[in-house]
Amino acid sequence: MESFQRASILLTLNEELRKAGSWAGETHMQKAAFFLQELMEVTMGFDFILYKHGPFSFDLRDELTFMRAQGFLRLEPQYPYGPTLVGGEKSELLKQAFRQTIEKHLTKIRFVSQKLGTKTVAELERTATALYIRLREPAEADPVERLRSLKPHIALPEAQAAVLEVQQITRDSSSLTASKGPLGLAG
Amino acid sequence: MGEIRDPIHVFVRFEPSEEKIIGSRAFQRLRYIHQLALTYLVYPSATHRRFEHCLGVMEVASRIYDVVTNPENIHHESIREFIPGAKGGDKLGHAYWRQVLRCAALCHDLGHLPFSHAAEDLLPEGWKHERLSQEIIMGKEFEPLWKELKVQPEDVVKLALGKKKCNLEFSDWETILSEIIVGDVFGADRMDYLLRDSYHAGVSYGRFDHYRLIDTLRILPVSQKDSQEPGLGVERGGLESAEALLWARYFMYTQLYFHPTRRIYDIHLMEFLKEWLPGGQFPTEVDKHIDCSDNEVTAGMRKAAADSSEPGHALAKRIISREHFRQIYERSSSEELRALEPGKRVYDGLVSQFGKDEVRRDDYTQTGGSYDFPVYTKAGDIVSSLALSPTLSKVPTFSVDRVYVSVAIRDEAERWVEKNRDQIITGAIGEEHSSGKLSES
Repeated sequence: MESFQRASILLTLNEELRKAGSWAGETHMQKAAFFLQELMEVTMGFDFILYKHGPFSFDLRDELTFMRAQGFLRLEPQYPYGPTLVGGEKSELLKQAFRQTIEKHLTKIRFVSQKLGTKTVAELERTATALYIRLREPAEADPVERLRSLKPHIALPEAQAAVLEVQQITRDSSSLTASKGPLGLAG
Repeated sequence: MGEIRDPIHVFVRFEPSEEKIIGSRAFQRLRYIHQLALTYLVYPSATHRRFEHCLGVMEVASRIYDVVTNPENIHHESIREFIPGAKGGDKLGHAYWRQVLRCAALCHDLGHLPFSHAAEDLLPEGWKHERLSQEIIMGKEFEPLWKELKVQPEDVVKLALGKKKCNLEFSDWETILSEIIVGDVFGADRMDYLLRDSYHAGVSYGRFDHYRLIDTLRILPVSQKDSQEPGLGVERGGLESAEALLWARYFMYTQLYFHPTRRIYDIHLMEFLKEWLPGGQFPTEVDKHIDCSDNEVTAGMRKAAADSSEPGHALAKRIISREHFRQIYERSSSEELRALEPGKRVYDGLVSQFGKDEVRRDDYTQTGGSYDFPVYTKAGDIVSSLALSPTLSKVPTFSVDRVYVSVAIRDEAERWVEKNRDQIITGAIGEEHSSGKLSES
């Protein structure tokens, strides 16, 4: 997928997250894009690894910076947390150029935004890491323990709740994705 | 303990066991790798090398480590838990990681190609200079050095490359340590190169109060009420020094690193190397890598420029005889609002008019994230830097889009762009020739 096309999806994701009540800072965009690409199969070519607050893509971080440089997004500082990302002066130009792309993926973008829109960074961190374990380490017998070994600052009840929630989100998403069965696993 | 004089840090001190790394073939090669590639053709005194930069990074990284692991500078119990020795025990762990950090800082640039970043794309698919650094650190020549220093080479690799370039799993502690070296905001690599490049180029833009900044760096939970994940931040008293660092970076990009003539020399150098190197690529074997420095490439370039039968003759001449292409277009903010990629439209239009060989484009946007890091206030709160600083959210994201043409067509091309600029930007000219124009698929 070409960079501007990808930017149009991320811009729409940012708008839908904010409509759903999200702070829509960089961390929110990282985790929502992870769900969109890895669970909802909107392939944007980002390579996610476990880093800041769970799944993280350096390419996506650079893409968001590129979007700010291009005027598609801008930072809006908010005390005392990190800044919100909002549409920039060229956001309408981008949306006009990629109307079909946005339309094609809008249902999936809205699904992710609804599921994650009200979550704090701490909640996103554990939910997204739980999804990462589910998708990348499907043989893991105890995903709760694995989550806590990766993120020692997450308490046991929160880790358990995150793993259960990811199971539910995966089930809910199955009707929107082509290659996943009821458990959300490929094949 | 040995010591080396340094214009930035006055002295860089090292242990005898560390001297063996400095004395290794791979490290000594860095004496012949210019830190700023061909920048000396524009700023004549910018001839410093990666050798002294790596020594400087070791010095800065050590100072940062000593500050952030000092028990008096740890404000949260959760942070005290994971720093070795911070609770009084595990002094060995504290000393071990300090040693690993110093070794990683020394070794972080060992894989750099001749002329540093300018030639980065001339490695086979899947290779970057960081992977070459890893091969050297893990290689046979360094094995006895690690044994003597009693450090695990995998730990050195992690800290030298950082999470972005290394596939190994990192603990929170290892993540913080790697950020001390290669971190996007407070990395010792960045602090040293801004100060050093500024000093040698003879510009002041890269200077900032690094003493104050280092002294106020802290490991903090990234948020007071939200995630407790640890990150590198700063005490409120150091916020202005952090602002100065990040503005210094911006000014160094605009005034030095992305000087238009400097950038076109990078493009010409890359083109020359593609023709001059066997197969158009640098080797990835460690011995061959160590044998190839700026010296060998410069000698080859001078020979090629003087002899028309040599591969890369015309391209070498552009550099040696200063016959570089000239900039005739740079994206303006008014054009940005009218088209998604005005620079590409101008480039495509010029190519259709004058041919591909006569035109070059330099399109770059800085990488990395926003300057959002935790700040520990006097009241004991943790606040985002962007919420507290009146200037950090206003640091522009650096981006250029320029078009250059050969000296032979310069006047004609300038007239053509001047006459057709509006039509080019709006897409009336040139679009049918565009090879990769924007489209929905």
